[in-house]
Amino acid sequence: MTASTPEPLLALSNVNTFYGQAQVHFDLSITVARGHIVCLLGGNASGKSTTMKIILGLVKPRSGDVTFDGASLVGLTTPQIVRRGIASVPEARRLFADMSVRENILMGAFVRNDREAIAQDLDKMLTLFPKLGQRLSQRAGSLSGGEQQMVAMARALMSRPRMVVMDEPTMGLSPLYVDRVLELIRTINQEGVSVFMVEQNASLALEIAHEAYVLQTGKIVLSGSARTLKDDPRIRDAYLGGAEAA
Amino acid sequence: MSSWLDYTINGLIVGNVYALVAVGLALIFGVSRLINFAQGSIYLVGAYIGWVAVVQLHTPLPLTIIVVAVAAAIVGLIIERFGLRPLQNSVRIAPLLATIGISFVLDQLVMLTFSPNPRALPSQLPDVRFQVGGGTIGPLDLLIAGVGLTSALLLFVFLRYSKLGWAVRATAQDRDAAMQMGVDVNRVNQAVFGIAAALGGVSGLLVGMYYNQIDTAMSLQATLKGVVAEVVGGAGNVPGAVIGSLLLGLVESYGVAVFGTSYRNLFAFLLLVVVLVLRPNGLFASARQAPPEPLTGTFIAPSRPVRIPRWALAVAAAIFAILPLFPVSFYVLQTLINAWLLGMLALSLTLVAGTIGQVSLGHAALLAIGAYTSALLSLTLNVPVGLAIIGGGLMSAALGTLLISPSFRLRGHYVSIATLAIGEIVSLVILNWESVTRGPIGISGIPPLSLFGTELISPTSIYWFSFAVMVVLALLQGRLLTSHLGRSFRAIRDDDIAARAYGLSLNRYKSLAFIFGGFAAGVSGGIAAHLYSYINHETFNTQQSILALTVVILGGLGNVVGAMLGAVALVGLPEVFRIAAEYRILIYGIVLLLLVRFRPQGLLGTI
Repeated sequence: MTASTPEPLLALSNVNTFYGQAQVHFDLSITVARGHIVCLLGGNASGKSTTMKIILGLVKPRSGDVTFDGASLVGLTTPQIVRRGIASVPEARRLFADMSVRENILMGAFVRNDREAIAQDLDKMLTLFPKLGQRLSQRAGSLSGGEQQMVAMARALMSRPRMVVMDEPTMGLSPLYVDRVLELIRTINQEGVSVFMVEQNASLALEIAHEAYVLQTGKIVLSGSARTLKDDPRIRDAYLGGAEAA
Repeated sequence: MSSWLDYTINGLIVGNVYALVAVGLALIFGVSRLINFAQGSIYLVGAYIGWVAVVQLHTPLPLTIIVVAVAAAIVGLIIERFGLRPLQNSVRIAPLLATIGISFVLDQLVMLTFSPNPRALPSQLPDVRFQVGGGTIGPLDLLIAGVGLTSALLLFVFLRYSKLGWAVRATAQDRDAAMQMGVDVNRVNQAVFGIAAALGGVSGLLVGMYYNQIDTAMSLQATLKGVVAEVVGGAGNVPGAVIGSLLLGLVESYGVAVFGTSYRNLFAFLLLVVVLVLRPNGLFASARQAPPEPLTGTFIAPSRPVRIPRWALAVAAAIFAILPLFPVSFYVLQTLINAWLLGMLALSLTLVAGTIGQVSLGHAALLAIGAYTSALLSLTLNVPVGLAIIGGGLMSAALGTLLISPSFRLRGHYVSIATLAIGEIVSLVILNWESVTRGPIGISGIPPLSLFGTELISPTSIYWFSFAVMVVLALLQGRLLTSHLGRSFRAIRDDDIAARAYGLSLNRYKSLAFIFGGFAAGVSGGIAAHLYSYINHETFNTQQSILALTVVILGGLGNVVGAMLGAVALVGLPEVFRIAAEYRILIYGIVLLLLVRFRPQGLLGTI
């Protein structure tokens, strides 16, 4: 890294991950610059979700380093990593189905103890996600997929994170909600939160991302700014229906 | 006590006591998907700490309750920290087995400290009864109801309004997601074990006062009742556990009213089996979730079995075969005969638990069926003993498979609970079906072993006979494992959904495994009956089921040679070291704990 580039917020360097005998990541290196939206693209079984788990400490890499704000996360537990300022929107939302929407959102503030500020942030979430206002006392499991995604995002923001990691935030949503979610990610980002998201839907992700990486069977095969990747023929072939065009 | 109101009051009071145990089990199951078989032991510890407080320290009642709650909570915290936390990344079966081991150790420690004789636990309350409608109620009833309600209220407030309570609920619903919110699940586990243990301990104290007597047999009973109540209410469902407990208390109380005291437990276990068959997620579970069990494959520790060359096995068999020709003591032969009988049971269990993955905790029932069948055939129908034993094996195979078949649709932990209940049911039916089984008197004067008209009386001949039977069963089982059938069994164990997708009928293969295993266990029980000449409903008890499981795990699940080796080791070694009988169970518990922690695949590895 040259002296002119500022230190990234999150950096994975030469990460190798194994499930038993099977290697999932091969010398994986990814950086997320402060204030950026970075997107990890890849097909099924490419190791995308495992990358999320590595960042969150749910899976331990066999070698390599993960640093956040200059300090290594390797060896920390998930709760410790969350306290460093990383919040997550897990794959398929993973809400606490039998708890109310209000309880779910407040669970996001579990690492905080400033009651009044938490209450203010809850109000702020309701302006950001106005639909949730009427749903607060409803069981989270009874919401539609799109509404659940809103709850999951509100929950992640409640910890006042410096970075949010999202695993396929648009998966299984109706087109209307997909647009809404992408817009919200942009809004969140504009308020200074960095975003690292894993996506299968490349065209959508590249619309909002600053940088992107393409992961194939555990190796980064392509990376760069979202703008250049959008025009890259390899991306078009692989993800944007290039085969049809040809 | 006579009126229906009395039976209702009694049912609700007993239900309250069960609720204190069951709520703890539900909390623990909720956050760690574990059925804590040590819960009854904490209840036992609570009762004895209460006894020390009341009888020796003369503490006033409120202080007694606090002392018991705090001491029991400390025991719970120790169990969580040193017994279970090290197993966090272990296979799914490990914590379950660890709680069984812990319960053996705790029960035995209490027994060694306080002797197995029952002790009186005075209630510290005036012995008066008030007329209420057509029934009566005493101060102790009110105390139990009060403690039950207070605990429920405190628990509700804790779960609803405290931060840790929120963490408990979130962890129960989605452990990974809770961690991603910053919840430290170790602290949650700790909290839950502490609360569960405090409630369990107080429950033991109250029960002791209610019946004015405590003894070490309370432990297993409490675990069983708590598990029944919890599963009836829906595993992991805290309010469900309370309602399940009250329901259980009422069912038992009315059952006793109609049929008599010896039917109490029968009703409890029948309720459990009915619920497991009809609504395995409990009466109050919403239909939306699948049972939170993993595939059976992840339930058993995978490993590479130790390869033993055939010649070595042949040599070992030959040495044991010619052993009686040398001047060995009667005592050694006796010990080894016991080992061979246990070996047959272990062969049966290793097939069922190891090869096809149905971890049975009620295997002693198969012994009992075989023993009673063989004894009755030879006594009442004058069937030659050799044939009677085979009859016992066949009866165990048929009846055992039939009884267990309702649990074929269950997985993981639920299989263990169902088999445990079915084992208890068999023992209770034997106790109550007096016209056939002679009830509590048992069967005496069972003819000795004989083969083709020759009685086998000398230890040498009994030794050869039992050893030969075991070897034949082992060879058959070894043949079975290398066949197509054995492969199908293992396929079902490793991934029952995939096995089903490839057209394997789970019911058929599970039946076949239980038929084969039932036969081996039944033969073992049959031989034992003729060897002991007297049996009753307690001859083959849960302790034996657990011992067999320990043997199987020691040898390596599914491992035929391991089952026999495990039997010789667990029966033989305590004899070699002349360990007193009362320390043996303690040692079995410790062996189980050490195995689970350091060598879950057993000595020879799982197959």
